[in-house]
Amino acid sequence: MATALNVPPTAPVTTPQQMKKEEEKVDYLNLPCPIPYEEIHREALMSLKPELFEGMRFDFNKGLSPKFSLSHSVFMGPMEIPSQSSETIKIPTAHYEFGANFIDPKLMLFGRILTDGRLNARLKCDLTENLTLKANAQLSSEPHMSHGMATFDYKGKDYRSQFQLGNGALFGANYIQSVTPHLSFGGEVFWAGQHRKSGIGYAARYNTEKMVATGQVASTGLVALSYVQKVSEKVSLASDFMYNYMSRDVTASFGYDYILRQCRLRGKIDSNGVAAAFLEERLNMGLNFILSAELDHSKKDYKFGFGLTVGE
Amino acid sequence: MASSQGKKRISATSNEQSLITRVSRSVSQSPIVHQSKRAASDAAFVLKKLIRSTGKAAWIVGTTFLILVVPLIIEMDREQQLNDLELQQASLLGTPK
Repeated sequence: MATALNVPPTAPVTTPQQMKKEEEKVDYLNLPCPIPYEEIHREALMSLKPELFEGMRFDFNKGLSPKFSLSHSVFMGPMEIPSQSSETIKIPTAHYEFGANFIDPKLMLFGRILTDGRLNARLKCDLTENLTLKANAQLSSEPHMSHGMATFDYKGKDYRSQFQLGNGALFGANYIQSVTPHLSFGGEVFWAGQHRKSGIGYAARYNTEKMVATGQVASTGLVALSYVQKVSEKVSLASDFMYNYMSRDVTASFGYDYILRQCRLRGKIDSNGVAAAFLEERLNMGLNFILSAELDHSKKDYKFGFGLTVGE
Repeated sequence: MASSQGKKRISATSNEQSLITRVSRSVSQSPIVHQSKRAASDAAFVLKKLIRSTGKAAWIVGTTFLILVVPLIIEMDREQQLNDLELQQASLLGTPK
């Protein structure tokens, strides 16, 4: 019989061996590296949770050198204030955000500052080939609203592990392991000192080239299942089911994601009676026009936004 | 005619209630008429509710269709036009694609 051949890779490059329909024995010593634990729902999130906004948005990215770029962003529109009553309170705000990015294969720095006094900074650094440090910080002029978090990632041959430290005595760790070429399992624990809460969670992900199915359970009461099917190279359909067994809250949503040459259109409908759509249209080289719409039929709250993105 | 009117007048004067009153009352106070009136008002109520809920459903379906499906149709149509243009150009210029 055939000896162990190469495992079908989950990377986009397909080897010629995969094209032939031979019987392949799975080489359990040569499994691919799994997706990071926090990105386990990545495909479903990309399709089902676009960045919907209300108002006008304008982004301008200017590259000053191959590694360094600046970004200017203007936003004008109503912002929702969480209120105790069922009515949503919207206050019109406008802000300008200035940012700088430095991107290097080993080091990535990212900083943003807003006119309302918030500073957002991110760092990603490859300390060795397998160990990565990621840190982010959000400073705000309001007291007790600043926080920071540092993450150490270790990437093994077919596993990944991560350790997180945050301010307010927040500790977390997670681990994910590839079990077969298509299936990976992971778990996480966290402890929040300020709120004296701890939790444990498990996740599983099964993916082939055409579909991705993930499931996640956490002791905070969250059960999340998602399924994404790539119907063709331009179209993918996604569905998501979230259930919180503590607060008995159920949400199911379905969405589509069309990636065409001139545009990217994402639409979704929810069991809470929310229908949303997000369109990014390429008007010209480096010029993108964005339209966002969200209809909440149960709360009768309708949000529409438009924007323009200039630059790469 | 006069005799029948006369007869009615005689019977009117002889009883407490006239014949017309008694006949019309027996018709309008009969149980059948009560029931049919109740049925008609129920039917009107249900019909009004049905129209209102159909209207609401049509609004929800219509606006959701407008948000989810109309941009999709427009973009697919543009993609189709772009494909046709490319095909035409490829066949005109003879590009080996």
